[in-house]
Amino acid sequence: MIKIVDLHKKFGHLHVLKGVNLEIKKGEVWVIIGPSGSGKSTLLRSINLLEEPTSGKIFFDDLEITSKKVNKDKVRQRIGMVFQSFNLFPHMNVLGNVTLALLKVLKMKPEKAKKIGVGLLTRVGLKDKIEAYPNQLSGGQKQRVAIARALAMNPDAMLFDEVTSALDPELVKEVLDVMKDLAKSGMTMLVVTHEMGFAKEVGSHVIFMDEGQIVEEGIASELFENPRHPRTKAFLDAVLY
Amino acid sequence: MQGIADLFQKYFSFSIIREILPFLLKGALLTVFFSATSEIIGIIIGLTTSVIRVTRIKVLSQLAVAYVDLFRGTPLLMQIIFVYYALPYLGINLPATVAGIVALSVNSGAYVSEIFRAGIESIDKGQTEAARSLGMSYMQAMRYVVIPQTIKRVLPPLTNEFVALIKDSSLLSVIAIAELMRTAKEMMTWKMNPSSLTAAAIIYLIITLPLTRYVSYMEKKLKKSEA
Ligand SMILES: Nc1ncnc2c1ncn2[C@@H]1O[C@H](COP(=O)(O)OP(=O)(O)OP(=O)(O)O)[C@@H](O)[C@H]1O
Ligand SMILES: [Mg+2]
Repeated sequence: MIKIVDLHKKFGHLHVLKGVNLEIKKGEVWVIIGPSGSGKSTLLRSINLLEEPTSGKIFFDDLEITSKKVNKDKVRQRIGMVFQSFNLFPHMNVLGNVTLALLKVLKMKPEKAKKIGVGLLTRVGLKDKIEAYPNQLSGGQKQRVAIARALAMNPDAMLFDEVTSALDPELVKEVLDVMKDLAKSGMTMLVVTHEMGFAKEVGSHVIFMDEGQIVEEGIASELFENPRHPRTKAFLDAVLY
Repeated sequence: MQGIADLFQKYFSFSIIREILPFLLKGALLTVFFSATSEIIGIIIGLTTSVIRVTRIKVLSQLAVAYVDLFRGTPLLMQIIFVYYALPYLGINLPATVAGIVALSVNSGAYVSEIFRAGIESIDKGQTEAARSLGMSYMQAMRYVVIPQTIKRVLPPLTNEFVALIKDSSLLSVIAIAELMRTAKEMMTWKMNPSSLTAAAIIYLIITLPLTRYVSYMEKKLKKSEA
């Protein structure tokens, strides 16, 4: 479903992605781990076309989305993204956040959009908050709204960039639970996270990234039990105590 | 003591003020008309050019920058004179009223453009990215996500700009528009007494004071809401 071929990204002289290759199939949940600055966010942002690759190609269902000819807005409609900093729209209530793209991008009728919005907010456990504004919500609630908002466009894949890193520890679980449900429902997911518990439990595959390269990738259970590369091992030892 | 009595006699002659007040009020009405109309047109120009500038569309945004520089960097008085007296040589004959509105609008548009640009750039980049990641086009992200959030922030500086425009509209007196300042000057000549200027000053204050108060109130509220 997502295929990445020799992806490079430079910011000026800084070579952030140094030839990433990856193939993700429908329904798989890939967890990306790695030290800070290794290029995890840049990789996700490239897939969502928020960064333009310096070279290399990304395919989405056989469509080369890095091609100049492709309509980026259309591609992004099919790939949802959730950010560490929530990025909810503060001038709209929760339902407004979730339905905005339905109304303005898909030009959906308000009643229909509302029905979808309420359905998704119920799914993430926030049915009673649809009238609330983002600044009235806890971090965990905000992030669940952000997930519902991304799901509203009915994407084929979802990207999560450290979505629990800005949360108080006691709020992490409610967000991870929503993501678990999503994974169970068969959503194709790419998840950058430091939550190793989640990675082990939910991830089908794991990537360890360091210095702009995929150092090691594999089936989640195997990679955690038997890391082959010394750098992976060192990293896992450090984060798993 | 004598000095103060003279000052009052000269600058605060109530009998004269009472007599000329209807004329001044008519002038004040024109002042409000010219500044309000120009502010509205200025906002349209300013918003458009600011969006062009932040999108960094090559030639267009350079033109927008040139426009803002030109009209912020030269005296308004010169711009008014140019529009009214020089444009006819290019075959553009504008009646004084229209020339006045054109000059004021284009001038205030340049300031408003700066205000909106700063407002748009003050909105977190994550907002645009979240909007784009949902499949919105750049313009949709601007229209539904970024600009609505800037409105609250630009309201105080925009109102300040409006206050400046109200005062600056007095420069229209050079092209014989009978706004408040020109009326006051005419009354001064007619009565050979400057009390009309005092009265005009008070009228300017009555118009601008609520606006400046409103700005302080908004700024306080904004500080609280963003704290
Ligand atoms: N827009 C940019 N301009 C310049 N440098 C950038 C930009 N975005 C990222 N970088 C640099 O690229 C490198 C990789 O950044 P990236 O955010 O992808 O890392 P990361 O693996 O997500 O790290 P973290 O775990 O801290 O989020 C970093 O050195 C970062 O400073
Ligand atoms: Mg990151």
